[in-house]
Amino acid sequence: MNPESVKQELSEALRNGLTAEAEQLTQQALDNGMDPLEIVQRILVPTLTDVGQRFQNFEIYLPELMMAGESAERVTALLEETMLKAGRPTVSFGTIILGQVEGDIHDIGRNIVSILLKSHGFKVIDLGRDVAASAFLDAAHKEKADIIGLSALMTTALPAQRRTIHLFDEVGVRNQFKLIIGGGATTQGWADEIGADGYAPDAASAVDLCKKLLDQPSPK
Amino acid sequence: MKNTDRLMNIIQRCLNGSIIDEEQFDSEHVTQGIRRVVKKYAIQLDRSHVVNLDDALADRVWSAALDFLVECGIFCLDTGRVIQFTHDEIEHILAEAPSEVQLGSGVDAVREQYRCVEDTHPPLNMGGPVGTPVSEQLFLPVMLSYVQEPNVDVVCPATLSTVAGSEIRTRSPLEIMAAWEECDWMMQVLQRAERPGMAINCVQISVSDVGFLSAISRNGYRPTDMHTLGMISELKVNFEQLNKVAHTIYQGGIIDPFANPIYGGLGGGVEGIAVLLTAEMVALNLVYMAVCHGSSPTHPFNFNDTGREIMQATSLSLQALARNCHLMTNMTVSPVGGPGTKTLLYECAAYTTMCTVSGISRILGPRSACGTVQDHVSGLEARFNGQVAQAAAQLNRGQADEIVQRALTFYEDLQDKKPVGKPFQEVYDLKTIQPSREWVKCYDEVLAEVSGWGLPVH
Repeated sequence: MNPESVKQELSEALRNGLTAEAEQLTQQALDNGMDPLEIVQRILVPTLTDVGQRFQNFEIYLPELMMAGESAERVTALLEETMLKAGRPTVSFGTIILGQVEGDIHDIGRNIVSILLKSHGFKVIDLGRDVAASAFLDAAHKEKADIIGLSALMTTALPAQRRTIHLFDEVGVRNQFKLIIGGGATTQGWADEIGADGYAPDAASAVDLCKKLLDQPSPK
Repeated sequence: MKNTDRLMNIIQRCLNGSIIDEEQFDSEHVTQGIRRVVKKYAIQLDRSHVVNLDDALADRVWSAALDFLVECGIFCLDTGRVIQFTHDEIEHILAEAPSEVQLGSGVDAVREQYRCVEDTHPPLNMGGPVGTPVSEQLFLPVMLSYVQEPNVDVVCPATLSTVAGSEIRTRSPLEIMAAWEECDWMMQVLQRAERPGMAINCVQISVSDVGFLSAISRNGYRPTDMHTLGMISELKVNFEQLNKVAHTIYQGGIIDPFANPIYGGLGGGVEGIAVLLTAEMVALNLVYMAVCHGSSPTHPFNFNDTGREIMQATSLSLQALARNCHLMTNMTVSPVGGPGTKTLLYECAAYTTMCTVSGISRILGPRSACGTVQDHVSGLEARFNGQVAQAAAQLNRGQADEIVQRALTFYEDLQDKKPVGKPFQEVYDLKTIQPSREWVKCYDEVLAEVSGWGLPVH
């Protein structure tokens, strides 16, 4: 099979969430000598960027996005395994901790962000809903995170975003991590007020923001 | 069945239902379940209308929603179990649901009642900036601006952004203090407006159960107020919310919960959300023992509910409910526009007209600027909403559809621009609590415009 047709078929399998087929095609591409990084950059990222855009346009809905995201995650795992075996660094572009801040019990928006970030090669640790500030801090250390994403859909949860950032400040590790915020209740103004490193109004811009932040020189 | 017996029955189902992984519930029960019934019942909207004109389709949505709910159930986050009801149980519970209720007391009491599709009796108007943060120094004038409006029947408090200057922390004593501050100040507002018996939708500040349980007790909120709580999207409950239900049952209050499905989420697009919304309204009755059943389907990027697709789904769902059961339903208008903008008023005109002819019992809000910008709320928009509701009750669905479509042309392309308008202190005089000349002019112009479209506002 020529590289172009593998590219096309793998892209199609990812779009349709056909995990087994996507894994098989990935293995085939690797067996044919295709570089794992090339698979990520030429197939995975453009396909999932397009899937994300189609979700933004409501051409597809969350279930389709989730299926594509799950397939991409499995393909990424396969590629990582291959690279580790070859003694090469993994394909992850960075580690991101995500969570709904304390007092907020919503899930769906953060799930969308998580799927898109994973599909763009980030390692995502999702702490779930109603996460205490201290749990963000613990996870940031444990996972050696690059970015901490604090989500709040409810206006009543906004103070918990400030509190979480403040805790990182208080324990003297604020400069070790990028702290970003998002969710329906948040704005750029609020991000500025609480000293966040970035604000993403929606899932697609969260991906752009993380890419931008990790390209910037780290203050570490 | 006595209320306490019914409550015990629900708790037992939480404790003994089948165990399932949460992700499996989302994908297999909700997503696949919705897809199954959308196909089985041939749910397909005519996209050329916003207000549903197809009775047979509404009835199929009802059948689909019940079929879906029986199979799907409701997930209890604390036990990881599914609460399930048979079709017969659902029919029986719905048959026993109240079709009217008194809200408030004395001369300020109003009666909420089930409304059918194209009912000529107008829905109630609950004014208030549902879920919007308001600073402590503006809380009293903001809330007075709603309560003083004669066509506001019941009121929903704003969400205090601080208590005595401190940020509020969920599940802490600060939440209890904020809940009591909200309650005390709302009672002051009702006294100042000389409407002491008006019903209040409470406790707005209380996300967890601690503030709720505290402020709905001796000398706090009253049994004649509407006690609100939420279902977690999609079709999930937890003990914290059920604690509120248990407490309200013993307090004798009016249970007024909500469930807000996410457009484009697990339920998918317009057809799926119409079925999911219908099922969630029924689920509010099954697990929260709701007297009134509320919603505000949410757009995942703009956070409003006034867009074309969400209104199409909402209209269809409300008609499915109104044609097949006698539940009292209420919807919160969540416009992207804020005070001082015509966008806000066009959005209210469209949404409230659509809801009124589709059979809601009460219109809520508006939650101006989607409730995300502190202090961007004012009572004038609730006056407008009430006028639209009164007028729309005189329309049939075809007439309403024309007005809704016309209003949409004025704001449809502005939804992602977030025209949040001005804060309260810039659109109201803080001494007289009257809207500014500029804001009234804007309001008068839109009122004249919608009147010209055939909406009989006075």
